[in-house]
Amino acid sequence: MGRARDIRLAYLLLAPALLLLVTALAYPIGWEVWTSFTNLSPLNDHPTAFVGLDNYRHLVADPGFWRAAAITVGYAAATSAVKLALGLGFALLLARPFRGRALVFLAIFLPWAYPASVSVIGWYWTLSPPIPTAYSVFMGNMKYSVDGLLGGGAWAFVSVTLFNIWRGSSFIGVFLLAGINAVPPELFECAALESKSAWRRFWLVTVPLLRPFLALAVFLALTTAFADLSNVWMLTAGRIVYPVLGTHAYWLAIHGGQFGPASALSLALVPFLLAVLFLLFRMFDPPERERA
Amino acid sequence: MAQVMMKDLNKKYDEVHAVKDVNLHIRDKEFVVLVGPSGCGKSTTLRMVAGLEEITAGEITIGDRVVNDLPPKDRDIAMVFQNYALYPHMTVYDNMAFGLKMRKFPKPEIAKRVGEAAEILGIQELLKRKPRQLSGGQRQRVAVGRAIVRHPQVFLFDEPLSNLDAKLRVQMRVELKRLHERLETTAIYVTHDQVEAMTLGDRVVVMKDGWIQQVGEPLELYGKPSNRFVAGFIGSPSMNFVEVTVADANGALWADTPGFRVKVPPACAGRLGPYRGQRVTLGIRPEDLRVATGSDAADHSFDTVVEVVEPLGSEILLDLKAGPNVIVARVDPTVRVKHSDKMRLALHPERVHFFDNKTELAI
Repeated sequence: MGRARDIRLAYLLLAPALLLLVTALAYPIGWEVWTSFTNLSPLNDHPTAFVGLDNYRHLVADPGFWRAAAITVGYAAATSAVKLALGLGFALLLARPFRGRALVFLAIFLPWAYPASVSVIGWYWTLSPPIPTAYSVFMGNMKYSVDGLLGGGAWAFVSVTLFNIWRGSSFIGVFLLAGINAVPPELFECAALESKSAWRRFWLVTVPLLRPFLALAVFLALTTAFADLSNVWMLTAGRIVYPVLGTHAYWLAIHGGQFGPASALSLALVPFLLAVLFLLFRMFDPPERERA
Repeated sequence: MAQVMMKDLNKKYDEVHAVKDVNLHIRDKEFVVLVGPSGCGKSTTLRMVAGLEEITAGEITIGDRVVNDLPPKDRDIAMVFQNYALYPHMTVYDNMAFGLKMRKFPKPEIAKRVGEAAEILGIQELLKRKPRQLSGGQRQRVAVGRAIVRHPQVFLFDEPLSNLDAKLRVQMRVELKRLHERLETTAIYVTHDQVEAMTLGDRVVVMKDGWIQQVGEPLELYGKPSNRFVAGFIGSPSMNFVEVTVADANGALWADTPGFRVKVPPACAGRLGPYRGQRVTLGIRPEDLRVATGSDAADHSFDTVVEVVEPLGSEILLDLKAGPNVIVARVDPTVRVKHSDKMRLALHPERVHFFDNKTELAI
């Protein structure tokens, strides 16, 4: 009885935020979904026609799409894995008190705490120094070698990746530290008493105990990877070498004038992402089984 | 031989000196209880034996090995925590088997040991359940079972019954005592409850502010407390303390204070000689007071006024006033009194204690 009431109350409390989100996003998303089913374009001489799934069909047939999709997913997965590993390492490092811990915590927390719009400029200047100095020569050489090795724009891509990992691992580190602190310390102490190998202890006790937090951490890592990517990426020239769906769509729409296909492109990975996020959310908050 | 020896054990946390010069020899198969108020250092001492706290100074020996530098997993000990510390993502069976699995025991051996422990504790039907499906008492049993299967040299208990309700605590206390008699393994048990200490321990160690106050068998601590703290800590309701002056009168020593005047028993008289004219603290337990009868000499009785009557069924606790002094007495359930009645109490002369006011030691 009380539980049904609690659920209703929960929805009521969420309603204002949900309403805001829906009204702010409903029109743009709705427009995009509609457009993806049309051939809307400012270059058209004829009125916009409904083309059904044509745009999507073209996508599926286009190897360029699959390439971009693979890169997008691969990039998101790879950076998430690195962010998770680094974040977990940071959290375990900070879990027990030691001399100078406060400073280490600050060092680990600052990358995320500091506004991204400011720190990204710092990164940009570090990697592409605007003022000629001895250092800038070194950086310039790095850029040429990486671009030469992997193709024009690769240096920019690497920069974006590093920045994303730098910020992401910072956040995940602090987040997982909160997770570790939420676990009663006796559980770790008991494991220390019982198991001979720190490695097995890590996999059989620490990771399962942190599972909900890890799942949420991956959730957040993936979403920020996808979001970050389109934003920062558009400001760089890397799209030529490593096209990513977001920027591909941007090119198509803004430079190519093909709004229809561009919308379809943008939305292409959404179902996939939603499915992954749903699975992760279930891991984070599995439905409780009843008490015996 | 699973004896545990603590030599000059000390623990300092920055400013706080939590454990001070603890010297203790726990014999093989002995069940020793560390008891004391919060912050007395008992848990810290236990955790140093377990290896969960660094030793600042001193030495701990388990069996014939000095374990100061050994990590917890190599000390051959098993610990039962106050909050059970069961792994929530594993079944009861897996929880109990975990330590053995980590040590690469063969599966049949694990099954045998877990089965045995489950049988001893009566939790055979719970083996497939997860901790969140168990009640507090069941979880505690699983925690104990997990310790048993390891067949350790020493069991360490850190206030294992504190999270249980009163009735369950009494029940589990008896079960633990039975378990110890059956397993015959050395055990160190930490609690703040003096009743647990008295009922479970072969020997009891009373601690306060990091120091050991007294070590002895339960009845020894009860009957011959070495200082005022132990006297007041052991026994419930607590011993009554009255500040008295040692007066010389009629060729004998008297303990004197407004509202209260009793003769110093001959057994104590010799020791109290040096305190003539000075103030000392007299201690008498509520159970060593009774309603005075005609045959009780005036030497050992005094007048009181009843303030509160607490009938417990098996006895009655009386809160009384002897002049300005508050006294608690335990009397027979047949005694009929009510608030503001006058009552004359007698005490057992052999059971009176005296304590030095400055050192708080027993005289």
